[in-house]
Amino acid sequence: MRAMIIDDSRAMRSILRRIVSGLEFETSEAEHGQAALDQMRAGVVPDVCLVDWNMPVMDGYTFITEVRANPEWRDVTLMMVTTESEQRNIVRALAAGAHEYVIKPFTPDAIVEKLSLLGLVPASDQGVPA
Amino acid sequence: MSVLTDEVEAPAEDDVRAVTEDVWLALLGEEEVLLPRQVPSGSPFDATGVWSAAVTVSGGWQGVVTVELQEDAARLLGAGMLDLPAAEVADADVADAVGELVNMVGGNLKSLMPGPSVLSLPAVAAGRAVFASDVVEVCRLDLAWRGGPVRVCVHVPRPGSSNGGSR
Amino acid sequence: MTAPTAFASVSALVRRETSMVYDEGKEYLVEARLTPLANAKGLDLEQYVARLAFDADERRKVIDALTINETSFFRDHTPYQAFTDAMLPPLLEERALTRRLRIWSAACSSGQEAYSIAMLLDQHLPAGWEYEIVCTDISTQMLARVQAGRYSQVEVNRGLPATSLVRYFTRVGREWEVAERLRERVTVKHMNLAAPFPMLGSFDVIWLRNVLIYFDAETKADILRRMLPMLAVDGFLLLGSSETTLDMPADLAASWRRDQIGRVPAYRRATAMTLSRTGA
Repeated sequence: MRAMIIDDSRAMRSILRRIVSGLEFETSEAEHGQAALDQMRAGVVPDVCLVDWNMPVMDGYTFITEVRANPEWRDVTLMMVTTESEQRNIVRALAAGAHEYVIKPFTPDAIVEKLSLLGLVPASDQGVPA
Repeated sequence: MSVLTDEVEAPAEDDVRAVTEDVWLALLGEEEVLLPRQVPSGSPFDATGVWSAAVTVSGGWQGVVTVELQEDAARLLGAGMLDLPAAEVADADVADAVGELVNMVGGNLKSLMPGPSVLSLPAVAAGRAVFASDVVEVCRLDLAWRGGPVRVCVHVPRPGSSNGGSR
Repeated sequence: MTAPTAFASVSALVRRETSMVYDEGKEYLVEARLTPLANAKGLDLEQYVARLAFDADERRKVIDALTINETSFFRDHTPYQAFTDAMLPPLLEERALTRRLRIWSAACSSGQEAYSIAMLLDQHLPAGWEYEIVCTDISTQMLARVQAGRYSQVEVNRGLPATSLVRYFTRVGREWEVAERLRERVTVKHMNLAAPFPMLGSFDVIWLRNVLIYFDAETKADILRRMLPMLAVDGFLLLGSSETTLDMPADLAASWRRDQIGRVPAYRRATAMTLSRTGA
């Protein structure tokens, strides 16, 4: 599985990279939506994008709209990972084609569980209490 | 939830505290928590060597959310987020980490205020935050993390002033 | 935890009041849960533990803190899938006359399990069906949370599909509140699983996940024995994935039948006839 992490903060990309690498994803990174689109057009098409909302050049909402407009990318799963947490914005992102939505701040478990909901990692079924 | 004080709408101090603590906990874990810190009202941020970062909210609610923290704390924050030894954290890393921090605090506070509003990209500076004269402080939280002072502030346009104001 | 004696005394307290077992190796958990309580009193952990001997209020807080299960919406995912795919269809068929389902979320903690089930029933029950989810827990603090149906941002981030978040929850300040139409199907009752069960009626599905692991073998067996009459003859009992009825005394093990649904074992009353296969 390949994940593209799209966030203007290098520190946030680093946090997300460590989480998904732990799930044995190969990762690529982009610092805004336009850079991510450029990479995808150049052939780096991931299985899942983890997308921030507020970024320079092209925001995450525009990015998911662009990805959804291209039928060649219909298999790409889109997961917003953003501090935008109004109900209205979550609804907007889902309507535009995002499959999942994680609100920042998040714990690593939240990312893992959402990816597992999306069928991208085997569900952890260990059931061991804390 | 928001509260109305003297014509201006501001986030409640409890909410600012809870949001800040949630961000800290998620980023840095439970080992080193933020502690409350008593500072007389009106006193300037007293750390030596400061990083500051701000985001502006505009739309249904207007405001500026600022986080200031002591150099060492900022560097440790960057080290924690980037998973690097503190000695290897460059200024650009600190700026990036502090910017993401204020983005999270500001974005969550925005969601508690009347909307719809838009969140700006973070503006980060080495040095204390500077506030325009047309904004007024409506909430201030003084905290300590790993021995260094941390301050979170919310400013809103001064009643009667014409624009939202920013750094 | 610094002093083994402090751990031992906390462990003995919890065992005495709840029959739950905190073995060595769980020190980190006791420390993590108790440190905030100690800090709130301005004490270090050992001082705090010493105080418990004569402070009933703090003892109650410790019991609450230590009996809270880590939980999330749709935890482990597969049991919920098994519930909708393999348990609901035969139950819908067999309850076609009464059109009513009763579910028990035993040791419900903060209610994520119960509301996860409620969301599934809301989506999958045909029109005209009723359901009730009974939540029981030893912590009254947790039961109050279940009734309030409010969850933090961190909690709704975990395991809950975003589509369900916007469909079933409303933002209230920093928290998200479960829709009234789900909350009104959930009732709460204070109870200790280790003590005789109060009158609860019988259930079509009992969720007893990741709870037995806290009890000693004897209590575990006792709970599973008393669960038998609580389950409808064609009902389902769900345990955590590391829990089983197989290691119980022979007569008890024989009174539960294990049906494998995909990766999820469901336990049925062995006396019941197999009316429909539930293979996934």
